[in-house]
Amino acid sequence: MIDLAIRDLVVAFKGLERPALSIPELAITPGERIAVTGPSGCGKTTFVNMVTGLSKPPRGAVSWDSIDLASLSEPGRDRWRAQTIGLVMQNFHLFPGLSAIDNVLLPQRLTALKLAHGHREEAARLLSRVGIERLDQPIETLSRGQMQRVAVARALARRPAVIVADEPTASLDADAGAAVADLLLELAEETGVTLIVASHERRLIDRMKRVIRLENGLVVRDGTSSTARPQFEDA
Amino acid sequence: MFRFIAADLKRNLAGAAIVALIIALATALGVAVTLQERALRLGSARAASAFDLVIGAPGSETQLVLSSVFLQAAPLPLVPGTVLSGLARDPRVAWAAPIGFGDFAGDSPIVGTTAELVAGMGGVSEGQVFSKLGEALVGALADHKIGDAITPLHGRLGEGGHAHAEARYTVVGRLKPTGTPWDHAVLVPIEAVWAIHEHHDEDEEEHEGAEHHEEEEHEHHLDFSRPIDPAALSAPEAPGLPAILVKPKTFADAYKLRMEYRTDRTLAVFPGEVLTRLYGTLGDARRVLTAVAAGAQGLVAASILLVVVVHILQRRRQIGALRAFGAPRGVVFSIVFLETFAVIGVGVLAGFGLGWLAARSISSILTEESGIAMPVVFTAEDWLAALALLAATVVIAAIPSALAYRQSPAEALRG
Repeated sequence: MIDLAIRDLVVAFKGLERPALSIPELAITPGERIAVTGPSGCGKTTFVNMVTGLSKPPRGAVSWDSIDLASLSEPGRDRWRAQTIGLVMQNFHLFPGLSAIDNVLLPQRLTALKLAHGHREEAARLLSRVGIERLDQPIETLSRGQMQRVAVARALARRPAVIVADEPTASLDADAGAAVADLLLELAEETGVTLIVASHERRLIDRMKRVIRLENGLVVRDGTSSTARPQFEDA
Repeated sequence: MFRFIAADLKRNLAGAAIVALIIALATALGVAVTLQERALRLGSARAASAFDLVIGAPGSETQLVLSSVFLQAAPLPLVPGTVLSGLARDPRVAWAAPIGFGDFAGDSPIVGTTAELVAGMGGVSEGQVFSKLGEALVGALADHKIGDAITPLHGRLGEGGHAHAEARYTVVGRLKPTGTPWDHAVLVPIEAVWAIHEHHDEDEEEHEGAEHHEEEEHEHHLDFSRPIDPAALSAPEAPGLPAILVKPKTFADAYKLRMEYRTDRTLAVFPGEVLTRLYGTLGDARRVLTAVAAGAQGLVAASILLVVVVHILQRRRQIGALRAFGAPRGVVFSIVFLETFAVIGVGVLAGFGLGWLAARSISSILTEESGIAMPVVFTAEDWLAALALLAATVVIAAIPSALAYRQSPAEALRG
């Protein structure tokens, strides 16, 4: 398991007075459960892009263990992300026309010519763990809650060190959202991965041990969920 | 990766099929023009290859070739009958045969000639060569059977022709296929043609002169049961002929003969040479059509490119997601490239097939009508064209692929 150290990170976009994100220092230890929250436009998405290496940190350092993402090339970040990060996204990004298990295996298939031994069995196990019974069910016939559970299985399929979920429950109804939140927490517990959830949903945020609140690109609060709670009003 | 491409194509099957179809049609247009022009050229050249040297009266060279090789009836000026006997005696000539026309059996032209021409065109496949005036041979594709009776019409039925009611031929043999309009023709002894028209002319004179005429006289003029008399051809009073086909012994003889028979009384042509001039015109037409087809292909290429680029831009989030899950940029490029290339490639290949089918069916209709066998064949030139099209496909497919390659994975998270 790996830890994260952010130092002097500044992300500025052209035409904006203020940086979209400015974090002088932030550390995350392995196995933490962290919610990143804040009003829309606060820098949550930029934060996710930086810690997952989806974008290159323009200034400062974003280091997972000894690897500074700012020093990696784009293909290097792709490779690193494929090995290290499991992503769960608001819009699922499952690919229609493929079955549930093929969706889980797609990232592996796109990075290697042949599936490694045991990957298929692991994918099947994960799908049954998240409650998807029919492995070959076409993805477009699933409910939205089921889709997000397939996406959770996909995020875990390559045994990442970190799960990053961007608004994982925002496009689900309350029950499905709660089920996905349960799953994320249980699986994080079982596997010991670091869990970073960007969300504005209180029910989800409250269940995280640590909450980082961003406003205007700055960390305005970083603490346990109980101490952070008074800061939140449901949007 | 291939599984993903297959699933993606399957999902967008209708759109991909329409794009492939449009490409196929544009490709087919160009292919058909090329193949059809070549078929016409090869077909007519092969049809003319049996005709080494044609001699007629001065006039249009093209018309002489069209009438003799392609049996397109037209009133030709006649060469004196003595020209044929002169040629027959010439030591440089292997054989010389008259070609006399004007009558029809249904839609088949009746050609008066001699056994030498029959042998020169490959001989008969069944039956035997005519030996009596009233005997006829039919071309390989003519509707008549051996034993059929043929009543010649002067001119075509549909064109106000009238029957030579008195004359009647019996089919005694069938020619081997030649792939020329002669396959639809009926061949009869030239003497019979002369006899009919001589008789016919007299008949008309009699009608004008006297009211009454004796049946027996006709019988005397039209004795179709008498054997062919080769000497009639070289008789000094032999009638004039529209065309004479000459088989020279050597190449050099052919050129000498052509020079000698280009006089104020006769015209000698190599049909191949006349056709080459016609091909010049045909080639111009092909160039125009090819340019039109190329223009259509260019427009299709441009619009397909637009469609694909718009499609890729619409899917940039999905492409970003592939990257977000760790797919290398090269893989993303390959996916878009292979998908685009597959759709366009299928279209191009189908276009070659369609173009070939179109040229085949046009050719078979033309063959049906003209008797000229038109070979629809691909040559090395076409494979080069196919390679050029595929190269263009590579370029076109590379553009949206490059867009996808540059797609930032961060897009996946927006919205």
